[in-house]
Amino acid sequence: MSRTEATKRARVAVVAMGIVSPLGAGCRATVTTLREARDCVSTIERFSVEQCRCTTAGQLEDGWLASASHDERRERRLHRASRMMIAALRELLEEAGEFQPELTVVGTTSGGMSFGEQYYRGLQQARATGPAQAPEWIANYPPQKAAIDALEALDLTSPCQVIANACASGTNAIGHAFECIRSGRYQRILTGGYDALSELVFVGFDCLQAATPEKCRPFDRGRSGLVLGEGAALLALENLEAAEARGAKILAEISGYGISTDNHHLTQPDPSGVGPRRAMERALRSAGLAPNEIGYVNAHGTATPFNDAAEGRAIAELLGRVPVSSTKGMMGHSLGAAGAVEAVFTILALRHGFLPANINFRAPDSDLDLDIIANEVRPAAATRALSNSFGFGGTNASIVIETRAA
Amino acid sequence: MSLRLAGLGWVTPLGHEIDVVWERLLAGEEAPAVPVESSLGKKPQYLVFRVPPEAVAEAGRYARLRRSSAISRFAVVAGLAALRNAGIKLDEAAAARTALVFAISNGGVIYTKRFYHEIVHSGAAAASPLLFPETVFNAPASHLAAILGITGASYTVVGDGAVGVLALQMAMDLMANPELERCLVVGAEEADWLLCDAYRKWRLLRSTPPIEPFSRPARGMILSEGAGAVLLAREGDLALERIHPGTNFARQSALLPQLNAICAELRQESATDVFIASANGTFIDAAEQAASAKYFGEAAIYTPKPALGESVAAGGLWQLICAAQALRSQRLPPILHAMHSAGLTRSRQAGAAPWHRAAVTVCGLNQQVAACTLQLRS
Repeated sequence: MSRTEATKRARVAVVAMGIVSPLGAGCRATVTTLREARDCVSTIERFSVEQCRCTTAGQLEDGWLASASHDERRERRLHRASRMMIAALRELLEEAGEFQPELTVVGTTSGGMSFGEQYYRGLQQARATGPAQAPEWIANYPPQKAAIDALEALDLTSPCQVIANACASGTNAIGHAFECIRSGRYQRILTGGYDALSELVFVGFDCLQAATPEKCRPFDRGRSGLVLGEGAALLALENLEAAEARGAKILAEISGYGISTDNHHLTQPDPSGVGPRRAMERALRSAGLAPNEIGYVNAHGTATPFNDAAEGRAIAELLGRVPVSSTKGMMGHSLGAAGAVEAVFTILALRHGFLPANINFRAPDSDLDLDIIANEVRPAAATRALSNSFGFGGTNASIVIETRAA
Repeated sequence: MSLRLAGLGWVTPLGHEIDVVWERLLAGEEAPAVPVESSLGKKPQYLVFRVPPEAVAEAGRYARLRRSSAISRFAVVAGLAALRNAGIKLDEAAAARTALVFAISNGGVIYTKRFYHEIVHSGAAAASPLLFPETVFNAPASHLAAILGITGASYTVVGDGAVGVLALQMAMDLMANPELERCLVVGAEEADWLLCDAYRKWRLLRSTPPIEPFSRPARGMILSEGAGAVLLAREGDLALERIHPGTNFARQSALLPQLNAICAELRQESATDVFIASANGTFIDAAEQAASAKYFGEAAIYTPKPALGESVAAGGLWQLICAAQALRSQRLPPILHAMHSAGLTRSRQAGAAPWHRAAVTVCGLNQQVAACTLQLRS
């Protein structure tokens, strides 16, 4: 698709955002931490990691999580993931209180998993009936519940589609929401992603030896794996023309989306990088952009040897020496939230005239010809970026983000 | 944009051939319930409706499914059946123009339980790297995409019993892209003691069959397993006329007003001949009965849950398949064990005009509700 053809279709604006991540609660705190390139990974205390290789993760401070109501009983039933979503949605609506989505499309991988864990641990106990809280844990454990809780807490009533495409979920959600508006079928969609740390998922990545006992070092020659993170990020997408007509503040545009499925293996990417490359090519074609028009790539960059090799190869082949960073070194991999969190990071950084840093970077991988933004932010006037997310099951997703000056 | 149901496939406790299962439903058959034991040595014992092993024998052909959980095998067999039913064989070019949307609620609970059980009992060091990947919600979709050779859009959507219709909505949105020729929508679930215990503690499950739809008071459901698949395309005689993508209800008492609003909207267009409900012996039955009486009073009503059990994401697609089969065959199976269904029409009256429109409502147990309508076109 040519740029002219792409822009003939409905354009899609980001009119508000909300975020809570290990970098901070809210967009303002997030920009500060991003600019400082701060390492926000810390030792896990929420559950036992005694037998794990990895003992760290990017974690939210409990004080950043939002309450839904003054009803103590109801409050107790809310999972941590729900409280993250409420915090992110509250910030978004403070910025755009009039935003009434026709549809909500969000991503997650495991939602309220820790409630399921508590229920299972309760069953192990001698009591036949299990703990008294079991019904509450069960009712609030399903992955979609956090999104529904947030909509309910903030009096939004849109239908809710929750995508669980593993680590690509957040970018898939934004991309699908973008296509829904671009096709003219919708005017306003709330999109994003969320995930809270849980023991089951943490141990899962640890037992696959995908998690590292060291620092998370994306694209580094000595990278040894990922660390996990958590968070929630939401974006209010609106038909650009309609948003401008009502005088809304336009933070950015989503202008392209590519999705591909790599059938190589359930947990490992095709080493050739064909899956990521296909997703990025499709995103560029969707935006009507040439590779040399991209000024920054927010990489999936988990710091696992396999992912970074496949993704790095695909970026180098398709985009050449474009500035690249993975922000996962700062906060870990927040799975279903990652795509949405990283989209917000990218919009904030571009609007503030810098490119986020790829921290913990020591030495380049000689097999990857990449321009890594090593350890410190880079001042830049880039306005067009690609944000990548890839997941188990071979799902690959890329979106094109275009910003306007702050 | 109107999409058509080009192919249907299901794997159910009554078998997997579309027409054979339909004939068994028409004959008033009910799947046998079998005990499911707790791997923890816990009481009580629960009963579930299981898929007979021969119904998924075809899955044994695929090396990719060697270590997979039952849910993936159900999904693959149902998905392949829907393609066969549509007379479509996917080569590389056709697969590139095919999307996959997968609906799931409980997911791969058997492997998830086994994986976490090892952590709880033996510590994290004993956790199995073979099990963990199969616990991920999109593992079944990944296996199916690999077997079909799909390299483009593949989405897994999670939700409660409404998720099947939410997946249809996503498929319809995807098909706004003219480059796509078809979208395979699959819903699948597996049954396990842990799920039974959870739903029991949530006061939604009864310990033994039958499921008694529309009974007062509601006595609870029985879980089942399996998959449903529909192939959406641009041509065919069965139009997916309208989807109401649903809404969320905060409390059980709020279901009826939401359902009324949805049914009122669906009702506006033309008369409905067949109404396929999700009634499963829980609180949703009373709301569906009231809404159907108010908005679809003339329609013949059916719920497949007493015969097939409650299979959540798969169940919504089973309902859609029942609606399609009812319009095509102009017949509807008897509602089993419906002792309190006075005022509900159950079959086509002699001399009545042919059925051409069916409505399906799916009320989840966790705050989501959605609906759709089908129209038989000549």
